[in-house]
Amino acid sequence: MSSSRSKPHIAPFVGPAWYVAAAWLAAALLAQSTVVHFVAIRGVVPSLVLVAVVWYAIRVDARRAVLYGLAAGLCEDALSAHSGAAWTIATSLSALLASLLSRGFFADSIPLVIVITVVTSLARALLYWVVAALGGYPAGLGLMHLREAVLASALNALVMVVVMLLGRRFERVR
Amino acid sequence: MAAALALLQINAQRTGSVSPIATIVSSIFGFAQTAVSATIGGARGLGATVVSLPRLESENGRLRARNRQLIEENARLHELAAAYAAETSVRPVVNLYNGVEARVIGFPPENESRAVTIDKGSRSGVRRDDGVVAADGVVGRIVAVTPFSSTVLLATDYTSRIPAVVQRGRWWGIARGNLGSVVVEYIPQDAPLRIGDVVVTGEGRSFRSGVPIGTVTAIERGDATLYQTAVLKTSVDLGALDRVVVITQ
Repeated sequence: MSSSRSKPHIAPFVGPAWYVAAAWLAAALLAQSTVVHFVAIRGVVPSLVLVAVVWYAIRVDARRAVLYGLAAGLCEDALSAHSGAAWTIATSLSALLASLLSRGFFADSIPLVIVITVVTSLARALLYWVVAALGGYPAGLGLMHLREAVLASALNALVMVVVMLLGRRFERVR
Repeated sequence: MAAALALLQINAQRTGSVSPIATIVSSIFGFAQTAVSATIGGARGLGATVVSLPRLESENGRLRARNRQLIEENARLHELAAAYAAETSVRPVVNLYNGVEARVIGFPPENESRAVTIDKGSRSGVRRDDGVVAADGVVGRIVAVTPFSSTVLLATDYTSRIPAVVQRGRWWGIARGNLGSVVVEYIPQDAPLRIGDVVVTGEGRSFRSGVPIGTVTAIERGDATLYQTAVLKTSVDLGALDRVVVITQ
């Protein structure tokens, strides 16, 4: 792990300006808490917030990734009913994971980003339910949460691919 | 020859029949006349069309614009009618409980809990643990309040607990959220529950007694257990909430 930490990103990305990233996060949160609910598949929604976090985390260093994940998680906890700090912890650590996983790779490789998104989504769901259980959420329904996490990770990967393809097209047009 | 033909014509006229010559000529000319008439008619129509094309185009444009306008107006009126119906449906509930009417404005980002955000907060008198109802019954209770908005934990959330009574026999239980439905636990084994029984709230912190929670759709009864459990279909469609009423304490 220590060797992977010391590795720089291969692509010399300078991440997007903080206000651009903040604007994307705000848009993702707004959409997530208002309209995404209506496209739920079996009660599961894609997480635009996680997509934004992964998108940012694979382009910047771990410290900035964690800060971004922290901000995203705090906002999600603020908008949730009884999550405590579960989303804050889970999303910050997920951002760190995404940033570490992307070391040594090109951040614009779609297969790599799919893998990172799926792994990060599953890890985030696991972290969330562990923290929620420690915070007093009733145990049980593990299999149901696993099914939801798997479906959510697939949806997140799909959204991420769409975002990356649209981003490429937009870059080409510019 | 000419005389013969003339005689044929005269004979036909005298007998009142159609001469063979007239038959042949009429038949041939009939086809020709039809063709010529059709051509002339088409040409006249085309001419008229060409002449009136600008007028037709402008008329078509005007009708299309009018059609668009009517479609928009129709959609707006439908929306107004739906809003009016929603408002009038909760108005009696507002009056009954002297509650605060609110609109659903948001959902939990990750859909991990069954909750909604409403547009009324502490500035409107909403407090934590206030009960929330819709026209048809229980929605949930307030779990977080900010000055301008509040979070309502729906009755179907896994952490929701509401005192419940089976209306037919006044058997008590606890209505617990089960994500997609509500189950009433701790109903005594000897209570003769039936499918279709109506379950209402018992007097508690968030609700007065008698607010409908749902109807029994299944009963789970074990031989070795002290209590039985009833699975409910909620009276309110919690997936399509728009206007709700907060019962302020």
